[in-house]
Amino acid sequence: MSETKELPANMQGLSYNDLNAMLNLYGPDGKIQFEVDRYAARQYFLDHVNNNTVFFHDLDEKLEYLVKHEYYERETLDQYSMNFIRDLFKRAFAKKFRFETFLGAFKFYTSYTLKTFDGKRYLERYEDRVCMVALHLARGDEQLATSLVDEIIGGRFQPATPTFLNAGKAQRGELVSCFLLRIEDNMESIARAVNSSLQLSKRGGGVALSLTNLREHGAPIKQIENQSSGVIPVMKLLEDSFSYANQLGARQGAGAVYLNAHHPDIHRFLDTKRENADEKIRIKTLSLGVVIPDITFELARKNEDMYLFSPYDVQRVYGVPFSEISVTEKYEEMVDDSRIKKTKISAREFFQTLAEIQFESGYPYIMFEDTVNRENPIEGRITMSNLCSEILQVSSASEFADDLSYSKVGKDISCNLGSMNIAKAMDGKDLEGSVDIAIRALSAVSDMSYIGSVPSIADGNKKSHAIGLGQMNLHGFLAREHIYYGSEEGIDFTNIYFYTILFHALTASNKIAKERGETFDNFENSKYASGEFFDKYTTQQWVPATARVSELFDGIHIPTQEDWNALKDSVMKYGIYNQNLQAVPPTGSISYINNSTSSIHPVAAKIEIRKEGKIGRVYYPAPYMNNENIDFYEDAYEIGYEKIIDTYAAATQHVDQGLSLTLFFKDTVTTRDINKAQIYAWRKGIKSLYYIRLRQLALEGTEVEGCVSCAL
Amino acid sequence: MTEKIKLANKVEAINWNRIQDDKDVEVWNRLVNNFWLPEKIPLSNDIPSWGTLTEAEKLLTMRVFTGLTLLDTLQGTVGAVSLIPDALTPHEEAVYTNIAFMESVHAKSYSSIFSTLASTKEIDEAFRWSTENVNLQKKAQIIESYYHGEDPLKRKIASTLLESFLFYSGFYLPMHWSSHAKLTNTADLIRLIIRDEAVHGYYIGYKFQKGLEGASEERKQELKDYTFELMYELYENEVQYTHDLYDPVGLSEDVKKFLHYNANKALMNLGYEAMFPATVTDVSPAILAALSPNADENHDFFSGSGSSYVIGKAVNTEDEDWDF
Repeated sequence: MSETKELPANMQGLSYNDLNAMLNLYGPDGKIQFEVDRYAARQYFLDHVNNNTVFFHDLDEKLEYLVKHEYYERETLDQYSMNFIRDLFKRAFAKKFRFETFLGAFKFYTSYTLKTFDGKRYLERYEDRVCMVALHLARGDEQLATSLVDEIIGGRFQPATPTFLNAGKAQRGELVSCFLLRIEDNMESIARAVNSSLQLSKRGGGVALSLTNLREHGAPIKQIENQSSGVIPVMKLLEDSFSYANQLGARQGAGAVYLNAHHPDIHRFLDTKRENADEKIRIKTLSLGVVIPDITFELARKNEDMYLFSPYDVQRVYGVPFSEISVTEKYEEMVDDSRIKKTKISAREFFQTLAEIQFESGYPYIMFEDTVNRENPIEGRITMSNLCSEILQVSSASEFADDLSYSKVGKDISCNLGSMNIAKAMDGKDLEGSVDIAIRALSAVSDMSYIGSVPSIADGNKKSHAIGLGQMNLHGFLAREHIYYGSEEGIDFTNIYFYTILFHALTASNKIAKERGETFDNFENSKYASGEFFDKYTTQQWVPATARVSELFDGIHIPTQEDWNALKDSVMKYGIYNQNLQAVPPTGSISYINNSTSSIHPVAAKIEIRKEGKIGRVYYPAPYMNNENIDFYEDAYEIGYEKIIDTYAAATQHVDQGLSLTLFFKDTVTTRDINKAQIYAWRKGIKSLYYIRLRQLALEGTEVEGCVSCAL
Repeated sequence: MTEKIKLANKVEAINWNRIQDDKDVEVWNRLVNNFWLPEKIPLSNDIPSWGTLTEAEKLLTMRVFTGLTLLDTLQGTVGAVSLIPDALTPHEEAVYTNIAFMESVHAKSYSSIFSTLASTKEIDEAFRWSTENVNLQKKAQIIESYYHGEDPLKRKIASTLLESFLFYSGFYLPMHWSSHAKLTNTADLIRLIIRDEAVHGYYIGYKFQKGLEGASEERKQELKDYTFELMYELYENEVQYTHDLYDPVGLSEDVKKFLHYNANKALMNLGYEAMFPATVTDVSPAILAALSPNADENHDFFSGSGSSYVIGKAVNTEDEDWDF
């Protein structure tokens, strides 16, 4: 941080924690003190990082030491000549990377960098980590390794946490972020799910499970009535499993469970998050999601009751698990079928309960089942989402023998993610090249992942090569360009940007398929193979609607209808390698390292207070913000849900999977406002909703004086 | 307890449709919205972090929390209840019952922290310490004696000083830990308590100022003198208590600044000028920023529940909302 000046007199003696916290306190002139955070970052290096970093004379000595002491994987380095490796590290360090914020540096050194086994000293700088990730993912391809270093250090592409944290290390978890498992209505499947959850949290990020197929509370077991205890005890088992397993202590296990709105246990499921729920049924750390079909909205519109159907009976009548049935399609039929036991609740009351629970806990997430399946280009049915509600892929059931071995290996879902920094990608002017490298890096993660302990995951991954390219820093980019989030230009940009990314993502995946002569399994029955997917691009012209957006794309090619026709032909001929290509995750940690605003959300606050399990309270200034352009950083609570949903809708139409969409409300809203936002999102074609966040301001007279986050 | 706490002489049905003081409703709503229980916070996530504290730090933490438990117990079972007979409006009485209940929730929360982090032996040891520590006992006695006293406004003064000043030598520690990435879930819980105490101190102070309206100049002067005297008495004791607790870890100087800062806040709640100049209230910014009672903190599923959710207002949707 040599370019930063000496500490001003009034800041002498303050620790980096203090300096960072001053971001949240106004200066004597009543303005935000942006410079303090740069001092904090500098002080962090001087007081902490430099003193605690193991010193090596040169790269050779360092790599030799790290391999010999089993910090680095020898296999990663053995794929390259030492000359190439030296050049690559030199290239990386020559970029003069500097962390823009204290939180970025702090997060990197606390959570990502390689440390000595006693956890006390650092063995890597940021550049080292980037090179190891590039060398690991490129698997001997020098050209790809070089490009990856350029893309990552240039900030255009940032692999997700598990990949960025683990790649190249000898003692590590998996590179994959995210898993989705089905549970079927039998004890073997439940037991397997618990085991798989343990195995997967031990190795990587989060696990989501679908509970929709489990028979309800009071359902018969072996035809004897009132025997089943429903979904809650299974949730308890899962919650405890996740707290038990963590990834080498790097982060906690985390899990989510999804349930269809028409499952009879839906109220019990939601009530586990009530503030006054009994300890026996209270769910603290497990995330909840509800799958809502169109019919539920229709019933609420007519203010009718909604029927809940016993999964046990549905499976007996239709011969397939409940989740494989479209409730919207079969609703009337099931209502009229006396063989299916049912109960009813008011549809509007259901939505209101949903909102009440969201007020208290932020949960559940929502997946709009019919929207998701209408937009799905792959053969099969999507019945659930994941821990961040952006993964939307097809699955199929596994079957088990009595000893829990698989008698039929079904298809479960894993997804590895990485995000592009929109501002940096636009500055780079080569979206095609940036997307190509990103898709190749993510495909490499899929190719290199094999989770043997959960065969349905291993098998699913091998067949689908599914990946999720995400995006972040939308708000940072827009504000830097003096465009308001959710304005006409803002939405226009989002549309054209995602449109262009989709084109390049498909192009890259098509190239890989062509190079390797391999597509994802069952490509031939997809809407890509039939060409149907391309209709909306070949029959319709997509161009910027505003002059400002045309200007932003100056020097960047926007694909034309001819481009799409050519791509369509090539895809129909050679296929694509990845069953799924895009998914926009919420990007917590990596957006700080990358100096981005999270995902494509508006900022939650101008100076964000971040609480991370491992680092406590830290303050993060929005990227590119200064006292001059500060007006463009309206926060999500001020912006309101319509503009956020409109922005997401513009992106959603070009994304094959989902986008994590959090809704932000002031605490003056009621459950009705939350319901209105949900209706609006569903009507706009949004696929899923993530958290509901509420902001409560301090009662006038009780606030901390001069505090940035207290100001309206 | 040597004497009975005075009960209200006359009870009337509280009519919430006849509001005399809007502040009562505002504060009542705020308190109800803020309702929480310790079970909401995944304290067990702090177990690994607890393991990284030194023995001295653990001991300090246990002692700080037993000290807070004592104060919250006092405020819940005696303090807030003793204010009820002097309430100016019937709604004020209702607010005090809420305050009393939440103080008991706070007291119980510390037990949740203990049972999650420490062994029974350590817990018993800490509680034994709390009954034997002279300064801690003294501050409880000082406050309690005023609760049992005759002057209703003096009771409010004592109560405000407790809520806005005496708690904070204890609150300092979890804020300090959280700014050093330790016990962050515990800090979330404490922040919920601080959120409540901030409202309590503010409200009781406000009611004191209301009660002062129309009093003679002489009486006003008497109460002001009394406030500053009591503040000095408590402050002296608090400084001793702080050194006693924080000297072994070298934090006493910063804690004292924090005491000055909060003493000024307490006086401000009572409508008086600050006692300590700005030069001795420059608390470490990390602590000050960590205190912010706003619920705008960002977190995800890997990092616990935060202190941000509230109980919402349920309103039916209407046909027009479903017009699609």
